[in-house]
Amino acid sequence: MTGVTQSAAGGCGAPADAARVTSAGNQAVVQGTVTKSGSPVSTGYARLLNAGGEFVAEVPLGADGGFQFFAAPGDWTLRVLAPGGIRAEHPVTAAIGEISRVEVAV
Amino acid sequence: MSRSDVLVDADWVEAHRDDPGIVLVEVDEDTSAYDKGHIRGAVKIDWKKDLQDPVRRDFVDRAGFEALLSERGISNDDTVVLYGGNNNWFAAYAYWYFKLYGHHNVKLLDGGRKKWELDSRELVTDVPARAATHYKAQDQDTSIRAFRDEVVAAIGAKNLIDVRSPDEFAGRLLAPAHLPQEQAQRGGHVPTARNIPWSKAAEEDGTFKSDDALRTLYSDAGVDFSNDTIAYCRIGERSAHTWFVFHELLGQPNVKNYDGSWTEYGSLVGVPIELGDGA
Repeated sequence: MTGVTQSAAGGCGAPADAARVTSAGNQAVVQGTVTKSGSPVSTGYARLLNAGGEFVAEVPLGADGGFQFFAAPGDWTLRVLAPGGIRAEHPVTAAIGEISRVEVAV
Repeated sequence: MSRSDVLVDADWVEAHRDDPGIVLVEVDEDTSAYDKGHIRGAVKIDWKKDLQDPVRRDFVDRAGFEALLSERGISNDDTVVLYGGNNNWFAAYAYWYFKLYGHHNVKLLDGGRKKWELDSRELVTDVPARAATHYKAQDQDTSIRAFRDEVVAAIGAKNLIDVRSPDEFAGRLLAPAHLPQEQAQRGGHVPTARNIPWSKAAEEDGTFKSDDALRTLYSDAGVDFSNDTIAYCRIGERSAHTWFVFHELLGQPNVKNYDGSWTEYGSLVGVPIELGDGA
């Protein structure tokens, strides 16, 4: 796969500013940004829940409010947590070979 | 051992972080998190650079751990309070690792970095200067570390707990959903392992669920608390979180973390592998 520099590929962690892919290749990518009044929310977390509502993965938001997941194809719920009790949820469908974008305004 | 011996909350940290003998340590995979801001007074440990042998797949040896803690200014008598990102995965891993090398006084900050951030508590960029020490470690306590042959022998005999996400357990994914799926090994799980994702032990803010809720969770999932337990994930840090729950919060004896985990087991020649969502 090309276009990925994953500095932490040996682990399970989630570098906040890990390079985001610009081409999905053979992956089902979910990407997006979280903004508040047009400005990025850089402190907070994006969580991916499966169709049954079960937690699957979480990443801290990047400096640009961005996040990225490599999911299995299917329907997911994206949940955002941020300071001040901010919560938001959006449905997203992931598919192999596609980057599914979710723009979240809180 | 009880919850108050091994877990502290943010108020406790704010009240005690300047006490002599208390050392805050942030442990992250993404060390840029510490560099962007950390709890005042905290030193940094990089789970990979500092805790893994740079050549072989294994931990730094006893002398290496002694050198690391000496350099970070941590004494044998210090109470080490660990916290980190990823819902404390790597902090729990470091906790287990400190115990492996015989450090007695270790605690986790409940909720880790996430809850601290969500509560809008102070983060600073100043790096504390701590005088070097002469740390002395013990030989590894392998009563808490499982190796591959023990895992194979535990099939059908001990509680095997696979704490990865359901898609990884079933073999549909080879890594958590926030990492690229380009691993080379086989997918699936150790036969007879139960899939109880680490995340079920944590609240949304990263704090651990209550002891009663945890006991109910694992009992309902079919764990026999009278039997020995081995937990694993992909590389052993999510399962360190579950090891912490079993061994430190619930006081279970004979609980091991298999740090080789799926990246080792799923690459072994000839071992049995089960696919699908399990029973």
